[in-house]
Amino acid sequence: MKLKLPLFILFLGLAFALQGQAQMVTGSVTDQATGESLPGVAVRVKGTTRGAVTDLDGVYNVQAAGRDTLQFSFVGYIMEEVPVANRTSINIQLSPDVETLSEVVVVGYGTTTKKELTGAVSVVDAEAIQGLNPVRIEQALQGQVAGVNISSASGSPGGALNIRIRGLSTNGNNNPLVLVDGIPYSTDGLNALNPADIESVNVLKDATAGIYGVQAANGVIIITTKKGRKNSKPSFGFDGYYGVQSTTKRLDLLNAREFAILKNEAFGAANQTLPFTNTELGVGTNWQDEVFQTAPIQNYNFNVNGGSEKSTYSIGASYLDQEGIIGGDKSGFRRYNARINYITELAPRVNLENILLYTNENRKTLAENGIGSVLYNTINASPLDEVYTGNRYTYLQNFSDIINPLAQIANTFNDNRTNKIVGKQELSYEINDNFTVTGRAGYNYAIVDYKGFSPLVFYGPGKAQNTASNEALDPFENDLNGVLTPVPNNVTESRTVYFNYNLEAFLNYERTFDDVHKVKATLGTSIFADRGSHLSGTAYDIPYNSWEYADISMANGTNLRNSTTSWQDRSRLQSYFVRAEYGYQEKYQLSAILRRDASTRFGANNRFGYFPTASAAWVISDESFFNINAIEFLKLRASYGVSGNDKIVNNWPYRGLLNGEAVYAFNDNLVNGRAIGTLGNDDLRWEQTSQANIGLDFNFLKGRLDISTDYYIKNTKDLLLQPEVSGVLGSYGPGGAPPYVNAGSIRNNGFEFLISYRDQLSDDFGFNISYNLTTINNEVTGLAEGVDFLQFASFGVGGGNATRMEVGYPIGYFFGYETEGVYQNAEEIAARGVTQAGAVPGDFRYVDQDGDGVISFGNNNDRTFLGSAIPDVTMGLNLGVNFWGVDFSANIFGSFGNEILRNYERQQPLANVQTYRIGRWTGEGSTNEQPRLTTAANNNAVISDFFVEDGSFIRAKNVQLGYTLPGTLIDRIGLKRFRIYVSANNLFTFTGYRGYDPDFSSGNPTAAGIDYGAYPQARIIMGGFNINF
Amino acid sequence: MKMNKFYKTLSILFAGMILSVGCEDFTDIDPEFAQDADSYFNAPADYEQALVGAYDLLQTSYLSLWIGEIASDNAIAGGESVTDSEGLHQIDAMTHGGVNNELRSIFRWNYAGVTRANYIFENKDNIDFEGKDEILAQAAFLRAYYYFELVKFFGAVPLVIDRRLSPDELASVPRSPATEVYAQIEEDLTYAAGILDWTAEQKGRITKGAALALLGKAHLYQNEFAEAATVLDRVINEGPYALFQGDYNGIFRVVNEGNPEVVFDVQYTGIEGGSYDCFVCLEGFAAVGFHSIRGYNGPIYSDGNSYNLPTQELVDAFEAGDPRLEGAILDIEAFIAANPDVEITYAEGGGGHTGYYNNKYSKRLDELGPPDTDLTSPVNHIVIRYADVLLMAAEAHARKANPNEEQARQYLNQVRERVDLEPVNASGEALLNAIYQERRVELAGEGHRFFDLVRTGRAAQEIDGFQTGRHELFPIPQAEIDLARAGWQQNPGYNN
Repeated sequence: MKLKLPLFILFLGLAFALQGQAQMVTGSVTDQATGESLPGVAVRVKGTTRGAVTDLDGVYNVQAAGRDTLQFSFVGYIMEEVPVANRTSINIQLSPDVETLSEVVVVGYGTTTKKELTGAVSVVDAEAIQGLNPVRIEQALQGQVAGVNISSASGSPGGALNIRIRGLSTNGNNNPLVLVDGIPYSTDGLNALNPADIESVNVLKDATAGIYGVQAANGVIIITTKKGRKNSKPSFGFDGYYGVQSTTKRLDLLNAREFAILKNEAFGAANQTLPFTNTELGVGTNWQDEVFQTAPIQNYNFNVNGGSEKSTYSIGASYLDQEGIIGGDKSGFRRYNARINYITELAPRVNLENILLYTNENRKTLAENGIGSVLYNTINASPLDEVYTGNRYTYLQNFSDIINPLAQIANTFNDNRTNKIVGKQELSYEINDNFTVTGRAGYNYAIVDYKGFSPLVFYGPGKAQNTASNEALDPFENDLNGVLTPVPNNVTESRTVYFNYNLEAFLNYERTFDDVHKVKATLGTSIFADRGSHLSGTAYDIPYNSWEYADISMANGTNLRNSTTSWQDRSRLQSYFVRAEYGYQEKYQLSAILRRDASTRFGANNRFGYFPTASAAWVISDESFFNINAIEFLKLRASYGVSGNDKIVNNWPYRGLLNGEAVYAFNDNLVNGRAIGTLGNDDLRWEQTSQANIGLDFNFLKGRLDISTDYYIKNTKDLLLQPEVSGVLGSYGPGGAPPYVNAGSIRNNGFEFLISYRDQLSDDFGFNISYNLTTINNEVTGLAEGVDFLQFASFGVGGGNATRMEVGYPIGYFFGYETEGVYQNAEEIAARGVTQAGAVPGDFRYVDQDGDGVISFGNNNDRTFLGSAIPDVTMGLNLGVNFWGVDFSANIFGSFGNEILRNYERQQPLANVQTYRIGRWTGEGSTNEQPRLTTAANNNAVISDFFVEDGSFIRAKNVQLGYTLPGTLIDRIGLKRFRIYVSANNLFTFTGYRGYDPDFSSGNPTAAGIDYGAYPQARIIMGGFNINF
Repeated sequence: MKMNKFYKTLSILFAGMILSVGCEDFTDIDPEFAQDADSYFNAPADYEQALVGAYDLLQTSYLSLWIGEIASDNAIAGGESVTDSEGLHQIDAMTHGGVNNELRSIFRWNYAGVTRANYIFENKDNIDFEGKDEILAQAAFLRAYYYFELVKFFGAVPLVIDRRLSPDELASVPRSPATEVYAQIEEDLTYAAGILDWTAEQKGRITKGAALALLGKAHLYQNEFAEAATVLDRVINEGPYALFQGDYNGIFRVVNEGNPEVVFDVQYTGIEGGSYDCFVCLEGFAAVGFHSIRGYNGPIYSDGNSYNLPTQELVDAFEAGDPRLEGAILDIEAFIAANPDVEITYAEGGGGHTGYYNNKYSKRLDELGPPDTDLTSPVNHIVIRYADVLLMAAEAHARKANPNEEQARQYLNQVRERVDLEPVNASGEALLNAIYQERRVELAGEGHRFFDLVRTGRAAQEIDGFQTGRHELFPIPQAEIDLARAGWQQNPGYNN
């Protein structure tokens, strides 16, 4: 409040105070290389507010005095300054900028050039995105930029990806802040963006992201959509591809014969009746062959760009349709996008920018990555069971918990539809050469509709998943208000509406004094308000037990089981920010940022936070003493700053609300009461990340070879944790939860390295190659006083915790028993001097970690670190070659040192297992790697290093071969460009991991590498075209 | 030109306007449609609603029942594999320690119940209204019940009364000796019994009989036999209870809910669905589905998870001709043999198989909730029934300083007579053993056995692996000791 009024007056004062003549100068601008005229080139009179833009023929007219100097600037060309020298006609040629130093880098509320940049920012441009053919924009980041780790939470169409910038800094929400054209965008909703609409992605990795304050701690991703160019004719583009997807892997599971032999052995070992009298059962059913299918994917984009003297436009529309490799349409994703970017000059130097992005999305899903998911059932189903019997699916009668995965797919019905509009109106006024004021309003409006149908299904006798009591699909009956009443099928429909808006105003100042002192400043304010509301209803008794009729309007409106629920929530953020930059001769750069945020997620005690950052850069190669000729450019960057993270699931974590569950039955009816939900904490504050970064940028060989390296240390403290609390506090009732507290700290440090080389050896032959490497070292450095560790996740069915957060270890490391071989004989067990309850020959020999002579299964004394899901090193290799119209590109991604916990094997006597189990212990000396097979009581299935595997992999993310038809040929049919290509995503993967896909991670940092049979990413072989006209 | 000026002014004003939005207290907002925990209890309905919250935790009773059986010689853990609910298998084998999911849940859930009751007492003086005493009396019973569970499992536990504890206070809260916890239980139950009536207007509400019966049980657990006898006599003489006449198994069936034998039962309904993600949220009795026959297909019963399977030893404990054997225990192969005309199939669980299932609380086709039916059983859990009261009273009379064996035999024989068994005529040690034997068979499968063996000092002789001086109490979950940071000592024998 105190800050505000003076700021406003200052703002208006500055704006009005700085308002500011000569003969007409004309000329044309052409490309030095090709001689073609260049429309859209900005021409301005240096030191004044006057300027012009070249027209379609590259011609400009500008008022200038005889002693003025004209500046010609155009993206992708080297800026030229030409003294007028009393001429009235000046023609000029601009040369293409082969160096990347003048590339524009978006840094938040402003831009800078790569040369002047002080922070650690990675850029992925439209060209790179196109080369990857991603379905989602995040995929274009994997392996492209150092320091950004992208992992798939699900390979299913429309499945989310996790973006992790520089490690994991919290056990809460690690998502970066994503801004699309300056509008805050939900990371979950990134699905909605069409990668083909994107001009560039800038990733702010270090503390200079601090201009975004309390939201910046996990890094900031700034996405810019495509714009038109002034004075350019409409340019049309039409791209498309069609592809076929298949699974990247199938597990090696036992066939019927192997299955029968191994199961007999297991039952026999426990003195039980052998289940199979005859083991010569052939191959049996390969459930994976039944479940996996090839599925189509297709995508078409249409766009038109152009501009007049006063305005530019870029309009696009696209269509994507992807079916799933499991279930086809049942796990399909379809997306329509429409987009307008229209910028117009309302008055000289007053620009109005309008952006509107519309998405319509439709996704269907199958149960995945969990006990009971389709793949989990597929892996564990017996090869002895057929898929069908008569005209129905088989019942897999040997299991009570595993159902026929094909029946499961056939009986899964859901539909998720999203309609989303993201827009921005931005008014900017270039008051004079030095001041620009910008005001903008951005908004996000999304309607998410869900419909799910639960039909009456009978999966077989004794299946917990049954919703009907028998094969005839008679419903179950249960007691309702004292009357035995059938439980019919039901449909659930829900609508969730999200609306958020942000209003921002900022003033940019830029002036160069005495040609050497460049001063830039930004001063601004931002408010953000978010609101969500949800209404859901479930209604019973859909006619014909059919999805076709599954709608609440078709249900029995008076069924007593019908129910409704709703929720609503909101949060707000209010911010001020200032940035000051000083540059001397582009040799020395200094920058300082201060942001003040107020977040409604915190109570009055800690609502406001200040986030400072300082950064500097030194272009060493511009120094006179620098005389290493091979290095044309050398810059040292350093930054340090503090940013915050306020992302918590709960919008009111500081308050204790009565939102716990309190339901009991009186007179056989449910009665609703009230109970405390999550306990409140008045003193709660944001997580605070302080990050130091030091980087070096090199250019060699006339800008053809770039090297960029960074080393960072990121310390996050006051983690927003919801740690376990003593049960005595009573927070473990239904709907209850411990309070959020600020406790604990995590350090991430790492090294990032990027090298790229590009060369155009002749008009017909050029290539580029780049390699990047990222190391991550993650360590928990503190927890709340007196707390030694926090535990999370679980292993097996009803098993104990699988992961821990503990000082000195990476967050969410796997915690369990270490094996040291298999007991070979009774003497070994007896001679060991360590008691391991129930151990017989063939059982794992566990390490006695605490040395007390007993392997304890009832406590943690003998459990230890078994690995971490966080990779030590990730790297990307990108290669591009073009020759005589042919282009080839390849992108390879590698991840090393990450472990995965194999948790998709159901420990049931008759569940199928992988063929590696053929190598089981069968007697003394047979193996020291695997335990015996038995259905008798044993401790071989407790969480141990046996279930933890190396998840390292190298994967060809994309390989593409294209051909651009020669201009002479296509001119005749009126095209500017025509390219066709074939491309493969996930063509090959090298990994030792036994599961489907090592390139997966749940979004939860404390359960990241636990594999329940995650939906693997598809291999996509596609053919496509790019047409411009 | 004028227009240009307009746009320039407009853009500046636009930016300025955005700036000034901040002048309001933009971030000073409250959650909508929500209530704060610290500004509640303003109307009688608030008390009633908070009481429903305190009742809710009763619906976690399945775990107490399981452990009471599995830890004893009555049952094995069962399940789909020997690592399915690892904690239960460890309790079965008497290898359990401080890390055990199930024991942790017992600790957490009962304290959640205590806390919800305390929340009411903390605010009991906010307003006055008719009917408040009845609400407080029910809350007092619930607090006593939850503390009784805690003291029964863990012995000395921290005693928090009439207030909610802040996380900072916890470090100075010691484990109160069991005697103090019992004293509080007695005080709460005496208070509740003084206010509540023998019958309640709504089915499922706590009654005077429930309070007195639990008070008697609390005395019995402290070997205060005279006090136990006095209180239990009141339940028998003044209360409206009678032994259920008819098929013994019928006591537990949904159609007979609220029959005269029920003194205190936890209400369950099959109205709401449930998921494995939240056991504490269930409105159905989880024990029922879990007890039932794995992969079962056939008449009467419905499939379940083969947990808590009765042992041969328990079967053999029934005397010949006792109809309660069939009522309490389902012999699956015998059942199949008796129904030759129907195809009956089932699967053996990988967690162990005895051929027997808990017949009192097993999933039946006519007692199902909505899917997942393993979790939504509408069968009520009868925690205290009249037969239990009679047998507790018999034991109290037989063991008190001046035994009244006549009275003890009379109570015992009432229970035997109901199932047409010969009266017992013994006295002294033999009478006591007859009462113990009767408790075992009458209450088989209901979660009493382990605690009865412990409190009567017979656990070591009956339970394989039971170590005297250690297994009488379960270990305080190690995480709870660590989190409390109050220097609690672990129960004897569990330090490694």
